[in-house]
Amino acid sequence: MTVVLFFIFGALTIGGALGVVLARNPVHSALFLVLTLVSVAVLFLLQDAQLVAAVQIIVYAGAIVVLFLFVIMLLGVDQTEPFAEPLRFQRPVALALGAILLAEVLLLAGHRWATGAKTARGVGITGGAFGSNIQRVARVLFTTFLWPFEITAVLLVIAVIGAVVLARRSAQTPDSESESAPRSGS
Amino acid sequence: MIAAFTITPSFYLILAAILFSIGAVGLLVRRNVIVMFMCVELMLNAVNLTFVSFAKALNDVGGQVLVFFTLVVAAAEVAVGLGIIVAIFRRRRDATADDLRTLEG
Amino acid sequence: MNPHVDFHAFAPEIVLTVTIVAVLIADLFTDDSKLPARIAALGVLGSLVPVLTLAVDGQTRSLFGGAFVVDPFSLVLTGFFLVAGYVTLLLSFDYIGEGDYYQGEFYVLLLTSLLGMIVISSARDLISIFVALETITIPTFVLAGWRKHDTKSNEASLKYFLIGVLSSAVMLYGMSLVFGLANSTVLVDIHKYASGHTPALFAVAVFLTLVGFAFKVSAVPFHFWAPDTYEGAPTPVTAFLSVASKAGGFVALLTIVRLGFFPSGNSWQPILWVLAAASMTLGNLAALRQTNIVRMLAYSSIAQGGFILVPLAVAGDVRGNAAWQAVVIYILIYGAMNLGAFAAVIAAARRTRSAEISRLAGFGRTNPAIAVMFSVFLFSLAGIPPLAGWFAKFVMFRAVFDANTTVAVVLGVIAAVNSVIAFFYYSGVVRRLWFDEPAAGVELSSPRLPVGLSAAMGLMTAVILVVGVYPQFFARLGEIAFQRG
Repeated sequence: MTVVLFFIFGALTIGGALGVVLARNPVHSALFLVLTLVSVAVLFLLQDAQLVAAVQIIVYAGAIVVLFLFVIMLLGVDQTEPFAEPLRFQRPVALALGAILLAEVLLLAGHRWATGAKTARGVGITGGAFGSNIQRVARVLFTTFLWPFEITAVLLVIAVIGAVVLARRSAQTPDSESESAPRSGS
Repeated sequence: MIAAFTITPSFYLILAAILFSIGAVGLLVRRNVIVMFMCVELMLNAVNLTFVSFAKALNDVGGQVLVFFTLVVAAAEVAVGLGIIVAIFRRRRDATADDLRTLEG
Repeated sequence: MNPHVDFHAFAPEIVLTVTIVAVLIADLFTDDSKLPARIAALGVLGSLVPVLTLAVDGQTRSLFGGAFVVDPFSLVLTGFFLVAGYVTLLLSFDYIGEGDYYQGEFYVLLLTSLLGMIVISSARDLISIFVALETITIPTFVLAGWRKHDTKSNEASLKYFLIGVLSSAVMLYGMSLVFGLANSTVLVDIHKYASGHTPALFAVAVFLTLVGFAFKVSAVPFHFWAPDTYEGAPTPVTAFLSVASKAGGFVALLTIVRLGFFPSGNSWQPILWVLAAASMTLGNLAALRQTNIVRMLAYSSIAQGGFILVPLAVAGDVRGNAAWQAVVIYILIYGAMNLGAFAAVIAAARRTRSAEISRLAGFGRTNPAIAVMFSVFLFSLAGIPPLAGWFAKFVMFRAVFDANTTVAVVLGVIAAVNSVIAFFYYSGVVRRLWFDEPAAGVELSSPRLPVGLSAAMGLMTAVILVVGVYPQFFARLGEIAFQRG
């Protein structure tokens, strides 16, 4: 059963990703992105990561992609765009990168991963008396990873402030002569 | 039958690597800034899938917790990035990277 | 079961965070535009107090299973970042105040980036380093585009952003592979893993992780964002990016390499070698051709970044701590030089109203004080004794000779050649300052420069002159940073 599900949702993930890259219309790309994100959430479920799967759908597919669609619609960029790219070395670099990553994929395939009930430090996914997935994640998040957690709180506040500052329409008209401080270098 | 065939962590890791590659190549090939950003989200999803797969393989729920941090950083980046895009392209009809031609280098 | 929290260890971060909140609230409730700036400056200086008390206390504190460590290294670098942040504030007060810019938010973002920097000097596991690096970078994406009405500035900020998120994703992927292989994110555990036999996949993981850092320190070939972003951003932000943000990247790189990847020399040394050589060469050659002072200093920063990478690239073959000390000492001196250089650029541009080098012609005659200090900074960057820059180059070459391998010597030769090339464009500007006819339309010594700007320039000049003659001060800091605390 797991096998069947893996191949179905694995294929949907790759298909969605290709759709994001190849779709002409940005709105289609966003929709393919949702497909990819939901398929990845199912793959998370297959690996006993229930909380992460739920958060993936709620935050990624439910908030981030919606934000993308808002911006696409706001700016009116939902037209198609030509496929030609002006930077000369773009295609070769992309292909070189693809080759490197493919080599890495083969290395991954060859590597023998240790599996099994090997509880590294602290809380494992299964085993021990730690409760459900949410309880385990909570225990680790608020003890071992408390410090990065607090820093991310600051980071989120900054993201909000930054987004507001950037997206706000200023009262002044966009006229560079009206600036009292001269541009570049002063 | 296929009962003997199990999905090892390698399968997920390879899937993640392919997803990462598609995102990376897409970022370099596409010219629409918003789609380029979506390709970065693909790459970050590949990273999350890698973390979760390792969490399962090593039986360490810490891997899943790391996904949360990736998610938070991705969300912060999306907020700021779309803010920048809105600030620039508010008055224009399309958002292609070709428009960023006033700068060389 | 609550984790035991040692608040003294966190005190610098706590003071800075409280400052950020205070600035935000002050900006919200008062119309006085100077108050947020004053609170910010006070807060940064206030954060230095616990740094000093921790230094006097002397014990190494380790929390969260070794992920957060306060030791002499972290204290030296926290002090550096706070001072650099304070100098940036000095540069910003009048610049941001006079221009058509949001003010309170500027200080909040700047201080948050600074918070990320002091966190990174204490971070000892991959995920803390990652989160701290993002805390440094994400505010700078916004700060770089602070000139909202300037199209070029906005586009530079977008380019910086795209390259930034790309390299974050690549670095994170590398970190995820390291996590899977080493079974932990804590650097000490990764060090243990790297001491054993590591598969080829580990080298790939290290490569990907280092790529992300290469972007942060604008090493070639990941430097494309730097010249445009430096030119488009408000100059105090440029100064901050070129010194503090870059140093943040170097600190993270140094920590990860020294405490994590170190035993597996073949995976990280070649990459750093290539980055160092390419950055020095390309940075210097491009700087020769620039007509805009900010772009010239941008390429000069790229080249200086290459010089800082040289001791890192040969560190595997150096016994003892000489290579790491060289990196820290160079960062300290480079910080003073570059902050000073950009301060002088701001001061000069207040008179010339432009960023073109040609407009600096004859500046020595019309504005001698600024021209003298500018010359000090430029010659120090070139490495001329008795200015501090010579000591930075000296420790760099000493690390190369300590390593004594063929590749190290080759790198040393490349560095030497590049130092000579760099001298040409630094001295070219100085020549123009003193020996050319003054350009038309340049104002004379009045109106006076803002206090903050003069103070910043004066302070940096003093540091460079003093350290140039008595390098023991910074050398001692370098030693302290790596003694077994």
